[in-house]
Amino acid sequence: MKRFALAGNPNCGKTTLFNSLTGSTAHVGNWPGVTVDKRDGVYKKCAEPVAIIDLPGIYSLSPYTPEEVIARNYILDEKPDCVINIVDATNLERNLYLTTQILEMDVPVVIALNMMDAVEKAGDKIDAKELERRLGVPVVKISALKEQGLSELMDKAFNESLKERKGTTVLQDTALAHLIGDVKIALAGQKVANPLFHAIKLVEGDEIEVEMHKDTLTMVQEFKETFSDEIFGNDFEALVADGRYKYISKHFAPVLVRQSKEKFQMTRSDKADKVLTNRWAGIPIFLVILFLIFHLTFSENFLFLGSIFNLPDLETLGLLTEEGEPISYGVRWLACIYDGAIFSPGVIINNIWNDMLVGELFGWIQGLVEGSSMAGWAVGLINDGIIEGLAAVLSFLPPILVLFLFFSILEDSGYMARIAFILDRMFRRFGLSGRAFMPMIMGFGCSVPAMINTRTLADDKERTATVRVIPFFSCGAKLPILTAVAGAIVMSFGLGNADLITYSMYILGIVVAIVSVLLMRGTTLKGETPPFIMELPAYHAPQFKNLMIHLWDKTKHFIKKAFTIILASTIVIWFLTHFSFDWKFLENEEINESILAGLAKLLQPLFTPLGFGSQLGEFGWVFVVAVVAGLIAKENVIATFATLGACLMAVGGFDFGAIGGLDAINASDGIAAVQAMIIATNITIPALISFIAFNMTTIPCFAAVGTAKSELGNKKRFNWTLVFWLVASYITGAAVYTIGSWWWTLFIWLAVVAAITTVIVLYNKGKIKIKLPKKKVKKSNPSCCEGCSNCSLCDDATKINEKNDK
Amino acid sequence: MPIVFAPLNIDLRIVRVLADEKTKKHLESLGITVNGNVTVLSSSGGSVVCRIKDGKVALDSNLSTKIFVA
Repeated sequence: MKRFALAGNPNCGKTTLFNSLTGSTAHVGNWPGVTVDKRDGVYKKCAEPVAIIDLPGIYSLSPYTPEEVIARNYILDEKPDCVINIVDATNLERNLYLTTQILEMDVPVVIALNMMDAVEKAGDKIDAKELERRLGVPVVKISALKEQGLSELMDKAFNESLKERKGTTVLQDTALAHLIGDVKIALAGQKVANPLFHAIKLVEGDEIEVEMHKDTLTMVQEFKETFSDEIFGNDFEALVADGRYKYISKHFAPVLVRQSKEKFQMTRSDKADKVLTNRWAGIPIFLVILFLIFHLTFSENFLFLGSIFNLPDLETLGLLTEEGEPISYGVRWLACIYDGAIFSPGVIINNIWNDMLVGELFGWIQGLVEGSSMAGWAVGLINDGIIEGLAAVLSFLPPILVLFLFFSILEDSGYMARIAFILDRMFRRFGLSGRAFMPMIMGFGCSVPAMINTRTLADDKERTATVRVIPFFSCGAKLPILTAVAGAIVMSFGLGNADLITYSMYILGIVVAIVSVLLMRGTTLKGETPPFIMELPAYHAPQFKNLMIHLWDKTKHFIKKAFTIILASTIVIWFLTHFSFDWKFLENEEINESILAGLAKLLQPLFTPLGFGSQLGEFGWVFVVAVVAGLIAKENVIATFATLGACLMAVGGFDFGAIGGLDAINASDGIAAVQAMIIATNITIPALISFIAFNMTTIPCFAAVGTAKSELGNKKRFNWTLVFWLVASYITGAAVYTIGSWWWTLFIWLAVVAAITTVIVLYNKGKIKIKLPKKKVKKSNPSCCEGCSNCSLCDDATKINEKNDK
Repeated sequence: MPIVFAPLNIDLRIVRVLADEKTKKHLESLGITVNGNVTVLSSSGGSVVCRIKDGKVALDSNLSTKIFVA
């Protein structure tokens, strides 16, 4: 099958085109760097099916960030049959800079002139035929979004792929043309593919190229010594860049005819930026938007209308029975929307989903199972194990989706890139650039894509630090833990406000992240803060189709996870709680003799300093189980709560009257289950908060750990990352618990922090010296390259030598 | 003068870029080259938003002292 690669500047519409061509639903956003890995799909409407490869955006073929390396390597090494170069027509000159480099390769090229609609809307015109003549390759006007011109583009690309094409350059009129020609001949003599392209990159002094062709480099260096330009000296790289831009503005740019001659026209985007990136207003506006998002998702008092107008609740209206149940079916619907205050849209959707749909459905299934003639243990497995667990997880789909929708809107509008810019100044103080904000905010959705997105960071140490703190930005799966425990604290202790506890936990995560970054950048990951250079895309209204694609993807992912890994985990946990070590089946009330209890009790003392260890007595191990289950997937914590809560309710000797029976467990977002655990263990509020804090900052789920491993790319660094997560969460949990229980311990913690800070600062200034253990020098042996940190050759080779000696 | 002190909304020419090799190359591919044109759109607390070619690029305060325009 033929392979066509889509290449172009970041944010020029490659992925939109890819989706339109292949019918895929890849993630699209309005900021540079959404696509960080290549992906493929199939286009079927050509003479034969063609594989389409979507590549990360690149500004030039000299890569700056890791994701740009992926694009360059694909075009060079995998040799696609045709490169479709997408050019953003609203920024023609800059986009053609990349085009001039692609044209230097011996590969068929077709130019797709995208965003023509925006150009025409501004009243400007582009003569595509003329551009085609001047570039020497086909140019097709398209609109990736409206799916216009796609079949023409693909037909042209298919035709081109049947022909051979030799690289051409725009540098033939510059002072370097001669040198380029000579180097090209030398490289062609060495049978290097794409000699023209490599010759020019070598002349530019491209890092990768210099590594590859060390011997040919001397030609360039000799020439360099004798060469001097009045503006550029012998800076060949700048000379080449200037040569390209000069040629572009002289020969290609004139195909664009602007309607208005006025040069500094303020566009709508510029006007919006005057306010949104304002030095003083920028951050407050961002905070207000963030507050609105959380308000619209979680608040049970929409726009505070209930408090302002002092609206009556359902009970005063006489719509509830004495037991507090709605008097009719209609009132049940009303209760989803209103109770003394209008609920925010997020809460309404959540209520309808949980009370009217999921709750009803699962309740009905549980009734069926109970009424059937199944064995007692099977009923238990299905009702308490599987259904309780699934219901607990599924009940969180609405808030996760609503929160995600708002973030998608921010992303699609182009505002995200601005936030990165206004936060840059603050981030700089912590030793990061504003660019690191993107992966961090993605972390609120899911750590996995967030960690992959760190590829847009050019600096290696900044990347490592960012990957490590991403889990502290509480992801969608951790949200249920927060709301369930916060809800239970409010219900059981009659204290505070659940929303407030949830918000503060989010903030706590951010604070831990900031402290960790400061600590790492001051000790193990020292280095200069990388520069912040970011393109600010034009604002546009969010695309409905895009938003729906995002939501659908998220839903699919969530449901898939619920019915695979989480379902499996709940079944395993149910079995472990219902069998003893001698494989005897246990009733719910005998939970304390189960295998799970036995194992968890071994670990229990470890968590004593965090408040949910040995001090909780007989049933304290349930929290340990939840923590361990969370290492597989954080949704498991809430599913485990539900399963264990159902068992605890069966244990005698406790007064569970306040909760309202077994039914409450699957209708109340896990709150009732946590309440049961509170009653059975007598856990304190600080210990509960410490429990959430520990879960939020500890080793993330399997998927995120795997991603971190592949993104860090270095085994040692990955192992230290695991240690870092464990230590960070343990310290955070212990601090929360001790300070919450005994306020004066705050001073001890502060003293320790102050002491550590002083030592680090003094050490960095060279005032004190700490002897660090020196690394052992391995015995050198002749077949070893020496000096590579993660090479196993040395050890193996030494062993072989020893054997030979014997 | 460094771009951070440059007047707003005026066509300027870049005369010198003092960044390290890697950063310089990245700036070039964005259009920030010696001899190239640039217009400063806004400048706040040292960081700068400028129009280069037809795109808008944001630069941090450290970098904006290293790009010289005339």
